[in-house]
Amino acid sequence: MPSSKSTSAKQKSAANAASATTHQAQQQVAQTSNAVQTLLKAYNETTSSRLKLIDTFLVFLMLSGVMQFAYCVLVTNFPFNAFLAGFSSCVGQFVLTASLRSQVNPENGAVFKEVSPERAFADFVLGSIVLHFFVYNFLG
Amino acid sequence: MATRLLALLGLALSVCAKSSTGNSVLVLLEPSLDKANYSIFFNGLTESGYNLTFRSPRDTKPAVIEDDVAQFSHVVVFAPDTKNFAQDVTPQSLITLLSKGTNLLLALSHKKQTVVNSLAAEFSLILPPPGTPLVSHFPERDTPATVIPVKPTANAILPTNNLPPIWFSGIPFAYSSNPLLVPILNAPSESFAADSSSDSGADAVFEAADKGGEGLWAGSQLGLVAGFQPYGGARVLWAGGVEMFSDEYAEKEVTAGQKSGNAQFVKNVAAWAFQESMVLRIDSVTHHRVNETDPPEMYTTNDNVVFGAHISAFNSETSAWEPYSGIKDMQLEFTMLDPHIRIALPAVTGKPGQYGVTFRAPDRHGVFKFVIDYKRKGWTHLHSSTIVPVVPPRHDGYPRFLSAAWPYYAGAISTSLGFVLFSALWLAGEDRASKKTKTAKIE
Repeated sequence: MPSSKSTSAKQKSAANAASATTHQAQQQVAQTSNAVQTLLKAYNETTSSRLKLIDTFLVFLMLSGVMQFAYCVLVTNFPFNAFLAGFSSCVGQFVLTASLRSQVNPENGAVFKEVSPERAFADFVLGSIVLHFFVYNFLG
Repeated sequence: MATRLLALLGLALSVCAKSSTGNSVLVLLEPSLDKANYSIFFNGLTESGYNLTFRSPRDTKPAVIEDDVAQFSHVVVFAPDTKNFAQDVTPQSLITLLSKGTNLLLALSHKKQTVVNSLAAEFSLILPPPGTPLVSHFPERDTPATVIPVKPTANAILPTNNLPPIWFSGIPFAYSSNPLLVPILNAPSESFAADSSSDSGADAVFEAADKGGEGLWAGSQLGLVAGFQPYGGARVLWAGGVEMFSDEYAEKEVTAGQKSGNAQFVKNVAAWAFQESMVLRIDSVTHHRVNETDPPEMYTTNDNVVFGAHISAFNSETSAWEPYSGIKDMQLEFTMLDPHIRIALPAVTGKPGQYGVTFRAPDRHGVFKFVIDYKRKGWTHLHSSTIVPVVPPRHDGYPRFLSAAWPYYAGAISTSLGFVLFSALWLAGEDRASKKTKTAKIE
């Protein structure tokens, strides 16, 4: 009889401990999901639609670059020049778009005094055209 | 009786037989041999269409070579007892004749060491010591032991040999390993070479048989009649003795009522030596790409190439070259220093004499040769070599878009399209933004 009692007590304490850890884990998950949600909410509210447009373009470029890199590593790097051309097309376009974003962002207006948004966009277009020229030449 | 009829038939058929290289024959008959004793052989040749010219080996006229041109197509040397030859028929000049395409028929001497015997060594035939003719005590017969009936067997030049036994008297020879030799008649297995036919020489032969090796001149490893095909196309026939060609042996009976096969055998063997039978030639060689007819100036690597050859054999009965499709084992090599491709060249069905094959040129560029190199014992050696250049593909000969690179093409194109779309949206948004600010200002 006493053994059964102690075992049941042990079981109870174990159950208590287990529930405590799961509760902690749940709390942590809830916290991180809360953090992500608040981040997304803040992002949605604070960024203008133009910057959001730039951001979607950046995400698309990143995905395209990752997919090309994965294909090169996993399947074959056979026409290596083609890989370099495609990958650097994504990377170069990403860099140009990121620099456009930082030049056009009104919060950075103090840093880029002599560069108007239109000038930034014109630079972006010019740089992109040169980049695409090199990419199609190297693509083979 | 039957063999007589056969011989007559053979004679009748061969009246029109001619050689593919010419009909003039020079017979070097030494004075001690009587021409009348060889009338069956010589008349047979004349009936076949050859023009025989007789000359003693010591005479200087008619000359065999004049102004570096061979005057006769064939030379027969029946001079077993002559030690010195005239200047223009010494063994060295006979070799020169061979390189000019003259065929030779030589008979060896069993009594002395003549110059003809020493020439045999140049043809990879090892002769026994002088004065050791072939001796056989079997089968029981009433001729001396040096006159031996030999049963001919099938060989390279007479594949089906149903001839009766052949009388032979002379010396045997042993063969060195030389792929150009064509054994025609081998000694019977119970024969041996000894310097006398009495039993007093038996001890020496017995000792040699015990030791084995070079001392043993016995058995069917010895040859009696052999052919040789040097480079250049001429043919040489070596016979161990001149009596084989004589009338006496041709008419001697082997068994009661059955004549020997000497006349027919000698006729067949002379026909081979004088390039009547088993003579081939390559008439033409063509090569081109598949679906084309003319040969291009140069091939590209990995091209599909068609190669064709037309081969004729000489028909001595009609003395004409007829297309011959009977070669089953010819090979074509596509060679640049080493054969890169070696494939069978079979006969094309439906086109007599035409052989063709299609193959893919190798992946190497360079100067290649189409090589036909066909050497079979008894048949004319066929050689042909055609040089073609094979170049790598031109810059526009490669495939334009590689299927392995489509993800990269898609990535680059999607980046460009995304850029264009982005700029369009940006400029459209700019319109709206400026309108907003304008309205804000107005307000």
